Amino acid sequence: MIALSVAAVLAVFILYTSVAGAGTPQLQPSDLATHRQGDVMLVGRVVGAPTGDAHAAGGLHFVLKDAKGRNNAARVPVRYAGTVPDLFRAGREVVVEGSLRDGTFVAKPGTLSTKCPSKYAPAKKST
Amino acid sequence: MNVALALAALLAVLAVAFVARPFVREPAPVSDRLDELGEPERRRLQLAEERDRALEALKELEFDHRTGKVSDDDYGELVGPLRRRAAEALRALEPRAEARQEPVNTPR
Amino acid sequence: MAALGRAALLLSFGLVVYALVAGSLAAWKRRRRLALSAQNALLAAFATTAVAVVVLWIALARHDFSFVYVADHTSRTLPLGYRLAGLWSGQEGSLLLWLLILTGYSALAVWLNRRTRDLVVWAVPVLAGVASFFVVMLCFISSPFATAPAPADGAGMVPSLQNPYMLAHPPLLYLGYVGLTIPFAFAMGALLSRRTDERWIVVTRRWTLAAWTFLGVGQLLGSHWAYVEIGWGGYYSWDPVENAALMPWLAATAFLHSVMIQEKRGMLKVWNMVLVALAFCLSIFGTFLTRSGVINSIHSFSQSPLGSWFLGFIVICVVFSVVLIYLRLPLLRTKTKLESLVSREATFLYNNLLLVALCLTILWGVMYPLLTEAVRGETRSVSKPYYNFFLHSFGLPLLLLMGIGPLVAWRRASLRALGKTFLVPALAALVTGSTLIALGYGSSTPGLLTYTFGAFVAASIGLEFVRGTRARHALSGGSWPGALVELVGRNRRRYGGYLVHAAILMLAIGIAGSSAYQTVRERGLHPGQSMEIAGYTLTYLRLEQRQEANAIATRAVVDVSRGGSHVTTLDPGKNTYPVEQQVSNEVSIYHDPRNVGDLFTIADQIDPKSQVLFLKVLVKPLVNLIWAAGFLFVFGALVAMWPDAVEQRKLAERYAANAVAA
Repeated sequence: MIALSVAAVLAVFILYTSVAGAGTPQLQPSDLATHRQGDVMLVGRVVGAPTGDAHAAGGLHFVLKDAKGRNNAARVPVRYAGTVPDLFRAGREVVVEGSLRDGTFVAKPGTLSTKCPSKYAPAKKST
Repeated sequence: MNVALALAALLAVLAVAFVARPFVREPAPVSDRLDELGEPERRRLQLAEERDRALEALKELEFDHRTGKVSDDDYGELVGPLRRRAAEALRALEPRAEARQEPVNTPR
Repeated sequence: MAALGRAALLLSFGLVVYALVAGSLAAWKRRRRLALSAQNALLAAFATTAVAVVVLWIALARHDFSFVYVADHTSRTLPLGYRLAGLWSGQEGSLLLWLLILTGYSALAVWLNRRTRDLVVWAVPVLAGVASFFVVMLCFISSPFATAPAPADGAGMVPSLQNPYMLAHPPLLYLGYVGLTIPFAFAMGALLSRRTDERWIVVTRRWTLAAWTFLGVGQLLGSHWAYVEIGWGGYYSWDPVENAALMPWLAATAFLHSVMIQEKRGMLKVWNMVLVALAFCLSIFGTFLTRSGVINSIHSFSQSPLGSWFLGFIVICVVFSVVLIYLRLPLLRTKTKLESLVSREATFLYNNLLLVALCLTILWGVMYPLLTEAVRGETRSVSKPYYNFFLHSFGLPLLLLMGIGPLVAWRRASLRALGKTFLVPALAALVTGSTLIALGYGSSTPGLLTYTFGAFVAASIGLEFVRGTRARHALSGGSWPGALVELVGRNRRRYGGYLVHAAILMLAIGIAGSSAYQTVRERGLHPGQSMEIAGYTLTYLRLEQRQEANAIATRAVVDVSRGGSHVTTLDPGKNTYPVEQQVSNEVSIYHDPRNVGDLFTIADQIDPKSQVLFLKVLVKPLVNLIWAAGFLFVFGALVAMWPDAVEQRKLAERYAANAVAA
């Protein structure tokens, strides 16, 4: 009885936090155009060679395309500063948090992480 | 390859033999019935558990009292009902215990 | 040879399905010989699975690349130890390991309890049912014995997996995960046989404790692995794979406690059934999460066919448990009620509510991306702030309860008595809290609360040992250490439990110190330049490069001093693996005895041309308490699990006279 009532309260609480917009949207580059504001987590595959330096003033520049799905055309340039995971390179699937500003995705520092390439090696890098 | 097949065959034979063993050992048993707990058995088990719970609770109360967690007053209040419960549980088991001629545990 | 492996697995399949079908029939129709036969089938399944494992191990040891699995996960240069660990480094092999442990545990549990016929007769089909799933996966969906023309060399093992952790972490976790199947099977067995007594609890108590310990140690090892090998400066990132093991562990913790209430008061029968089913289902869910990668993106379902199978199996388990519990509800209801909200039973209940609440919030967080995708079409995810909020909200009261529990009497505690027993721990907390605030620890409220509650808990547990030893000494004389040993020996569950609580306390304090009170600093340095952090001065001296077995190691030599005197030299850097075309981060850690913590250095970025080093430094006080806690945890669990002759005699008397004669 006590258990049930507390569970109910909890359920309400959790529902509230979820309705209140907890959580950050996860988007692919092709979805980014339609989603204007706020922080998002951009999931994509690195295409082309990254330029710049993540620890220098200009930051690291790379381009992301959709990792999955049929839309291969969408490209989003990303500017990033902070720790770069060891597995980061062209062709890798990455996740980075930030927001789109004037056509460039400006990442929050230190939020870049890579998905591991092999199916069953749960090596991950995040801050 | 042949070794592999031979080993696999051996394994299969052993497995089947092991699985069939109960039937091979007793081809025509007196009773193939799997006994289950009858009502009197369940009742007795329940009483035994209640007895053990009551005795355990008494032991813990005494331990808590000795280590100073339960005051003398609280101990006096609580020990009476617990002793009664234990005695009841023991009494409830007694007829069965007597029927089996088993010694009955007494609380220390 | 692969044919032998395949054959062995097919035999396992046949045996396990027979055990399931024949076992159910035997239990339903009360057929003795058929029940024994089903039992034997389950035992034999362990032998045939073991044969399959040996075949794979031999193939791994011998570089038999005609096995696709061996070619995919090992290479000629991989040392033997890691080749053998290849058994669990891949999808198919790890499923085989799971099956081996499951059949092994099942065989042992069934054999040890073969005289409790009417309980085992139903546990056998349940265990066989769970095993059937894994064996079907192994035989028909995801076989480790697929063969192909052997390539010249294998693909090798990912460098980040080539360390001793890989040898210990997965097997320990599996020994934990799979171990939760045993109490589940006996619980469901008790329900199926309509038994209302506590036999299934008595029988599975040590199994649950052992599984819980393995799961806890496995997770701790995993955290340590992440800490020193992946090296981002942390040990837990609320990743779904990490949460996958935490959730069943929390449910099992709740179960361990509430089962004590059922033993002592006969209450909470329904709750315990729900908890054991929850712990089991979460363990299957946990391995599903780790394998299928489903949480990162719902589209990865198509990449791994196993995902949908696992999900189907989880649904079956949940439905089975819910329906069975519902059908037996009348049997489980008891008249015993909670006498007082201020009693030890009540604290156990609060502990359970908090643990389950934490478990469910983590589950919610893990499932959130899937749910939002399904409901709104847009994937959203939660991260650290969400998890930390609930960890603090539920974890801090849990910590406090660990200290309150021992001080409260069973059934009903008078406020007068509470005042007396609470006095010293409360004072300890007050003194600690005010001192800490004066010293500036108020910068982090959760940290301050952890330390303050920690003082309360430490005093509470300490007093338990003191009071107990004093009482024992008064009774039997002898030396004080002797009295302590005798005390613990006579009350293994209680004092073993206190030791485990002390370990959890250490864990909490270690976590608080190393997260709430850590200092982080990043700096770009040229050779010769220094940076300061928390009293240390780190000077970047030079870059070094050397050739190692299969990597080129680049290291930045960093001198560490404090107050002008040299403390140590650290060498953070990177390893480059030419064969695998990968770079790995190699951190360098100094264990500082002064704060039981670490000075953690990461070479974030090294520019070989300009020799510029981006150094990230973390000072993490008390972090080594976390790892030390692991040892106390195991020790305490062993004490609690240790066989007790007195207890065994009592239980034998209770059940022997009641033995089913068949």
